Amino acid sequence: MRHDRRRMQSLTGYRRLHHLRPGLRRPSFQRLGPLALLALMTPLLLLAGSAAAQAPSARGDQIDARTFEIADKLRCPVCVSESVAQSSSEISLEMRQIIQGQLEQGRSEREILTFFQERYGDWILLEPPKRGLHLLVWLLPAAAALAGSAALVLLMRRWLRASREPIEVDENDLKRVRDALSEHG
Amino acid sequence: MSRGLMVLAVVGALGALFLFGLLRGEPDRDIASARLGKRLPDFELPVHARFRTDYGSTFEFESEALGRPLVVNFWATWCIPCRDEAPVLQAAWRRYGDRLTILGIQTQDPGRVAGGLEFIDEFGLTFPNLIDERSRVSIDWGLFGVPETYFLRADGTLAYKHTGIVNEAVLDERIGELLQ
Repeated sequence: MRHDRRRMQSLTGYRRLHHLRPGLRRPSFQRLGPLALLALMTPLLLLAGSAAAQAPSARGDQIDARTFEIADKLRCPVCVSESVAQSSSEISLEMRQIIQGQLEQGRSEREILTFFQERYGDWILLEPPKRGLHLLVWLLPAAAALAGSAALVLLMRRWLRASREPIEVDENDLKRVRDALSEHG
Repeated sequence: MSRGLMVLAVVGALGALFLFGLLRGEPDRDIASARLGKRLPDFELPVHARFRTDYGSTFEFESEALGRPLVVNFWATWCIPCRDEAPVLQAAWRRYGDRLTILGIQTQDPGRVAGGLEFIDEFGLTFPNLIDERSRVSIDWGLFGVPETYFLRADGTLAYKHTGIVNEAVLDERIGELLQ
């Protein structure tokens, strides 16, 4: 009990205050201890209460946002060119509820996408997986960009080389040009 | 290759691509099921009132406990092709009902259970029909739309999935394969 009291005094700063002001009558712990504790705990309790009240809503918002994020990666099975997030079809609504339910169960995005992939195949993914034939979708643009850049570099080098080479001009033509320039100059 | 030929080849390729885009029409929905050759997820659904005397209030599908081939047709009251194929399915049920089961599932049709009963009565369907009110089975089975018909072997694996209206020839061919 004595040990507890000392610890409490240390926590509330009471002992230090008492030493700085020696004339102050030392109040008994029984009288001030609970008050100090209450003063310390009240804001903490209020904060904790407020956090507890906000937690489900914040978590709910987070799950809603994640639901739409994942739904945006899935193709609506009954629509044309619409994601599950964009579609207002009944089946997309149900799929969003499945996503939300799985997020609440703590499943990862990968697990949820796999869930739909197992049912609909790769077709359901708006972004094709980076494997097999789908790799072409990812590699072809990069290969085309590389080939284009290489062709551009080759052409530029050829143009530069050509620009550095001396031009062969017929002496008569050169003379005609010079004459024309001097006439107008 | 001369420059003229190269230009011609590029323009020709772009023109062909443009024509392909113009002529290909609606995107192809006849996509093979990701479950082909595999068992489909089990489910339990309420049975339409008309069939409760014979089949009980709920129907439990367990792929491992089928015992005989199963044809599952997904339909909705608003679906016009479903109306065209309903008599064909009923005829198949009369022909093959002693050797396999035909199951109808009303799906992607929320809040229209009464309409579903009218549909069943209109076409005099006698094979069991279930209600997939929230389309959960439709999602679990990877359905793209209605009508779609699944042909399951006696061991519960998916032999074939038909997208769109099913006619007598398709039914006879696929059911024949299941019964072999």
